[in-house]
Amino acid sequence: MATYLEFIQQNEERDGVRFSWNVWPSSRLEATRMVVPLACLLTPLKERPDLPPVQYEPVLCSRPTCKAVLNPLCQVDYRAKLWACNFCFQRNQFPPAYTGISEVNQPAELMPQFSTIEYVVQRGPQTPLIFLYVVDTCLEEDDLQALKESLQMSLSLLPPDALVGLITFGRMVQVHELSCEGISKSYVFRGTKDLTAKQIQDMLGLTKSAMPMQQPRPAQAQEHSFISSRFLQPIHKIDMTLTDLLGELQRDPWPVTQGKRPLRSTGVALSIAVGLLEGTFPNTGARIMLFTGGPPTQGPGMVVGDELKVPIRSWHDIEKDNARFMKKATKHYEILANRTAANGHCIDIYACALDQTGLLEMKCCTNLTGGHMVMGDSFNTSLFKQTFQRIFSKDFNGDFRMAFGATLEVKTSRELKIAGVIGPCVSLNVKGPCVSENELGVAGTSQWKICGLDPTTTLGIYFEVVNQHNAPIPQGGRGAIQFVTQYQHSSTQRRIRVTTIARNWADAQSQLRHIEAAFDQEAAAVLMARLGVFRAESEEGPDVLRWLDRQLIRLCQKFGQYNKEDPSSFRLSDSFSLYPQFMFHLRRSPFLQVFNNSPDESSYYRHHFARQDLTQSLIMIQPILYSYSFQGPPEPVLLDSSSILADRILLMDTFFQIVIYLGETIAQWRKAGYQDMPEYENFKHLLQAPLDDAQEILQARFPMPRYINTEHGGSQARFLLSKVNPSQTHNNLFAWGQVMK
Amino acid sequence: MTCCLAGRAEVEMAELYVKPGNKERGWNDPPQFSYGLQTQTGGPKRTPLTKRVAAPQDGSPRVPTSELSPGHPPVGPPPPSKAPGPPPVESCPSSCVVPTSSPVIEPEALLEDVLRPLEQALKDCHGHTRKQLCDDISRRLVLLREQWAGGKLSVPVKKRMALLVQELSSRQWDAADDIHRSLMVDHVTEVSQWMVGVKRLIAEKRSLSSEEAAKEEKSAAATENETMSGLQQAP
Repeated sequence: MATYLEFIQQNEERDGVRFSWNVWPSSRLEATRMVVPLACLLTPLKERPDLPPVQYEPVLCSRPTCKAVLNPLCQVDYRAKLWACNFCFQRNQFPPAYTGISEVNQPAELMPQFSTIEYVVQRGPQTPLIFLYVVDTCLEEDDLQALKESLQMSLSLLPPDALVGLITFGRMVQVHELSCEGISKSYVFRGTKDLTAKQIQDMLGLTKSAMPMQQPRPAQAQEHSFISSRFLQPIHKIDMTLTDLLGELQRDPWPVTQGKRPLRSTGVALSIAVGLLEGTFPNTGARIMLFTGGPPTQGPGMVVGDELKVPIRSWHDIEKDNARFMKKATKHYEILANRTAANGHCIDIYACALDQTGLLEMKCCTNLTGGHMVMGDSFNTSLFKQTFQRIFSKDFNGDFRMAFGATLEVKTSRELKIAGVIGPCVSLNVKGPCVSENELGVAGTSQWKICGLDPTTTLGIYFEVVNQHNAPIPQGGRGAIQFVTQYQHSSTQRRIRVTTIARNWADAQSQLRHIEAAFDQEAAAVLMARLGVFRAESEEGPDVLRWLDRQLIRLCQKFGQYNKEDPSSFRLSDSFSLYPQFMFHLRRSPFLQVFNNSPDESSYYRHHFARQDLTQSLIMIQPILYSYSFQGPPEPVLLDSSSILADRILLMDTFFQIVIYLGETIAQWRKAGYQDMPEYENFKHLLQAPLDDAQEILQARFPMPRYINTEHGGSQARFLLSKVNPSQTHNNLFAWGQVMK
Repeated sequence: MTCCLAGRAEVEMAELYVKPGNKERGWNDPPQFSYGLQTQTGGPKRTPLTKRVAAPQDGSPRVPTSELSPGHPPVGPPPPSKAPGPPPVESCPSSCVVPTSSPVIEPEALLEDVLRPLEQALKDCHGHTRKQLCDDISRRLVLLREQWAGGKLSVPVKKRMALLVQELSSRQWDAADDIHRSLMVDHVTEVSQWMVGVKRLIAEKRSLSSEEAAKEEKSAAATENETMSGLQQAP
């Protein structure tokens, strides 16, 4: 029983999958009685340095309604060169290339250790990656300068054959024509009027196929055909011009009078960007990167007017139905987001301002397409600069981590159906036998599209057990699920990652203990949390909390051991020991509590929550707290006020913030300067230890967290105090024998 | 060359630094890591901080183990290092050290030592590269010269440029490219106006050199054939 933790970990390392239940209840009725649904977190492109891709096409089941990929669960007749699909039981002939296989000479995809395998396939010409910068010029001088420098720097980080384009906006929207010779030209659009895709393409001269397209050279396979347009040119040709162009960018020239906001036409700028890419490079990996320093104040998609005395909507305004522009603006961006996803492109939003910028209305742009959302105070901060640099970070092979244009297909054995997915994706509306009628998240389909993703992108996939109660356990005793992700790798290769897993069925009546022991409380907490956050987008806050509480109570009723009327007798087994804590912190978290956050902040936190892997999601739900002392190595402690002690240093990681907190005595010692005395070198090391651990987290995480270094009595200590369970307060200190002075 | 190999290692170490963030513009702005630190695929990681503690099931909160109550005056100094206690917490790997100024006074990189090889490299490319591009690169080299001579460039930038030129002269294109990237990331304000010219120069030299290598191979094969046939014809 103790090895389930190992089992869970090994499976996550190999397949990038964590299930809420690792032994599956065999009937629909019993599954619903488990309270936590059967679901999994899937990280489709989990980094696997030990898994070299194979350079051939996957072998598919020949049944047209199945087409499952050959995998280790399939029965194989090596003599007759036949294999039986484990999903539909069709017998298939191996293709001619497999004539040499045998029990001792298996192809990789049949070996159990390759339950996850990646194929590199040749599928048509390889198109370069495309980056379209959409830049707000209504910024303060310092901010604009810092942003310009970051963009110039990014030109050195992009691969030389990537295509890049520039749109700037303020009151007007300018699409810059990039050319190495002569004067730079641009097309100017009014920021007040939205245009259809066709109008945009006409006005930019794209519909006449006036693009200069050279014929692809017939020679080497690795040369890219020189497709480009006047607005999107390869870096190796255009970097000088673009560096100069960026260097010369000025603030929006329209004067802003006292008491007014600048007129910012974000809605039209984004619309033009989407239309431009739609007309020139549909169905290939592209990022629209929107950099904005304030809310849209003009034209379609405006979120607030230009009068400063009318503030941008707060949660209070939204509750009182007092947010004038919200519905219309949200609709504008939703239409754009859906179009972008249909074209296979993604939209990033980099919003740096002291006040809100409209992330609430624009969030669908990033959430439906898999683009990034970065929120900062100014472009002239390390938080923005380094987060932006990390977009271009490379993996162990020297390739960019970003990937494009992914489609995920999920296949299940007969006893299961798919209820839906919660994550940064859209539906491809593919019906089939695996699709359940009970909808949850992005539902009604067995295929989804994720236009922008990276090795940490994680989807929550929810299943439904459909076996009837008292029906016998299926022969073989195991259910199976296959995840097939096709995508454009950053090297522009097309790849297919296939993961096939199986788990045992068990009869919940007689084998509840087995099912219980195989419960993954961490995965369950994150999957329930994603459900809760998904609900919170459309339901009232208190209703979501009530639902969450009810689920916790039902779970405890089912799996707790207790004597009636005796609360102190309540016990949960080890595999559930952390779950109630997770739920406690989840209900206080900014994902479900909007109090103390602006609508933009809530949208930002929820955006990251809905796509991170399990470890990071758990950190967001229940921050990690480690205690440093002279008594021994750093140890994890309860996220509780009782962990705050005078002679300890605490390191708290909430994912969005790293907080270092010095206890009262430590702070006094530091103030007295003991760390500078050679006899107290121990103390110097103690002070340094959490700083080093914090640095390791700061060096790797995307987005870059805020960094708070505080001490007992400091005003910033509130970040720690607001997160810990307040088991000790001034109201109950007496109860534990402490004397109040 | 004024820089020796030992100097290069020192320059590289000094470029693994951490600066504080911009507290004026962003509250709690995190520290800024240099390009060298960010791109390290890094050695052994410290234990990841991902463990949690289960709450006691009997419901009572843990009694704090420290006897110090709030508001008390400091209880004397911390335990001294000599006292038998826990071993000091592992000192951080060298990469985390904020660099102290090097005690050795290195000779500053000289302008001519950097500009002359760059200008020579540009001359080498004249036949191979379009005139417009050569002019563009040349303009930027002039700008670099002006800024350097005018004292506008900091010591780390000059050091790194000397290293870049060294790599370029040794035909180490990837290394030179990486140095240009590190300068763009760490010192963009100083270098952005002219660095893209240096970047292109590296690219042009690289493509020129692979063209030359291809020509050489062809002519080497041709001479071999001639020699062979000559040998065969010799009496």
